[in-house]
Amino acid sequence: MSHEQVPPSEPTRRGFLGTFSNVGAAAGVAAAYGTLGAMAARYLYPASKRALGWMYLAREVDFAHGSSLSYRTPAGERVTVARQGSTKQVEDFVALSSTCPHLGCQVHWEVASKRFFCPCHNGVFDASGKATNGPPADAGQSLGRYALKLEAGLLYIEVPLEGLSS
Amino acid sequence: MFAPVGRWFAERVPIGGQQLLELTNEPVPNHLKRWWWCLGGTPAYLFVVQILTGILLAFYYEPAPQTAYDSVRYITEEASFGWFLRGLHKWAATLMVAAVVLHQMRVYFTGAYRKPREINWMIGMCLLVCTLLVGFTGYSLVYEQLSFWGATVGANIADNVPVLGPFAKRMLLAGDVYNDRTLSRFFILHAAILPVAMLVLIGLHLTLIRLQGVTEFQFADEDRTKPRFFNFFPDHLLSELTIGLVLMIVLSVLATVLPASMGPRADPFTTPEVIKPEWFFYVAFRWLKLFSGTFAVLSMGLIVFLMFLWPFIDARMRKHRPSEASVWIGIVATLTIIALTVWEAAVAH
Repeated sequence: MSHEQVPPSEPTRRGFLGTFSNVGAAAGVAAAYGTLGAMAARYLYPASKRALGWMYLAREVDFAHGSSLSYRTPAGERVTVARQGSTKQVEDFVALSSTCPHLGCQVHWEVASKRFFCPCHNGVFDASGKATNGPPADAGQSLGRYALKLEAGLLYIEVPLEGLSS
Repeated sequence: MFAPVGRWFAERVPIGGQQLLELTNEPVPNHLKRWWWCLGGTPAYLFVVQILTGILLAFYYEPAPQTAYDSVRYITEEASFGWFLRGLHKWAATLMVAAVVLHQMRVYFTGAYRKPREINWMIGMCLLVCTLLVGFTGYSLVYEQLSFWGATVGANIADNVPVLGPFAKRMLLAGDVYNDRTLSRFFILHAAILPVAMLVLIGLHLTLIRLQGVTEFQFADEDRTKPRFFNFFPDHLLSELTIGLVLMIVLSVLATVLPASMGPRADPFTTPEVIKPEWFFYVAFRWLKLFSGTFAVLSMGLIVFLMFLWPFIDARMRKHRPSEASVWIGIVATLTIIALTVWEAAVAH
């Protein structure tokens, strides 16, 4: 039994318009639900970055070379500020964050071993904040530093202004 | 007296007892008479326990940093039988993780993931990940020290993933760091998004099992002249119900003898000297101590990805060189996971 060759059907105006309207309807539905999805995603994405502000720390003349002070930000984080030079420039000072750069736990200063230690994953940092052991050392991560500025002999630190409500 | 009521329903719900029996009566292979082959039903049963106890806990739980800890303490110390319901929820979670892992190991070591069941293995992997995530978000809700630091570490793990990581972290925490709006996100994930995802996945998992049938095994000591199948209803259903009752007894004993306690309230500025996640994350926690952040996170992701695709990797391996290499790989992987878990459990740091 032989099959008759069926010629490909000619595109018709009706067929084209049908396909066109189907594609148009599908695109319209996708655009409508897509817009809703995009609005939902934007709604869920946090609106703004953390607000930062400059806070007064100390008078430059009162802050001796080699000394350090402990400062608590308005958000509550502990910061170790140390003076490592005597050029009377802002570069003399460092303000070390107590947040471990590995996965965000809080380090604490161990007096006996003179090191910052992170109890979460055993990260170790020296007094300058440089990682010396554990995962942060493997990845070359040091303790974060806050921005400082020296104006008219007064030392300021830039810190987050808001933390968790208590 | 009941006949008219029965007729009334029969007219509106046109299905008879015989049809119901046919719908549920899937032939079940004989090996499922052995109890340790019923590990798939165990997490499903525990999931129902979690939904019921979770709904009850949600009546009093308040997901905000200022209120969460006290609301959990109220449930534990003041609400009638709150301590028991919370204990059930906590222990059912622990047993559920264990049952899912054991079920997956059974499927793995018997090769039940092979053609044509590759897709169901992948659905099972999604269920494993969801179970771990629902466990993680669950203990983050108590707002004790472990909750806070667990959530912080979890979000920073996400941050280590290239490209999408920072976005995922901000979405999870509702900001750059843990803030007043973080806890409600964990609650929504724990009590709505993940359970609904799991319901859909369990539905797909069971549908595929019904469509493909349960994998058949025959043991050396089986009588080959006897029928190879038995009835789902009522025989297998009775087995599952018996397991359910035994689980209820085990859960009740655990919740009473080892009740869910309260750790110290979260302190966002002091990480405790010794801190550990729940036991099922010990292996990941130790891994994170052994390697730098990005490597540890990416390698864990790669392992999960390979597990997800394992049916296809195994098929390719067997095509080139027919052997049971997957069994040996499984044994090595299992021993490694046990070793890392025991290591983490045995030391303070």
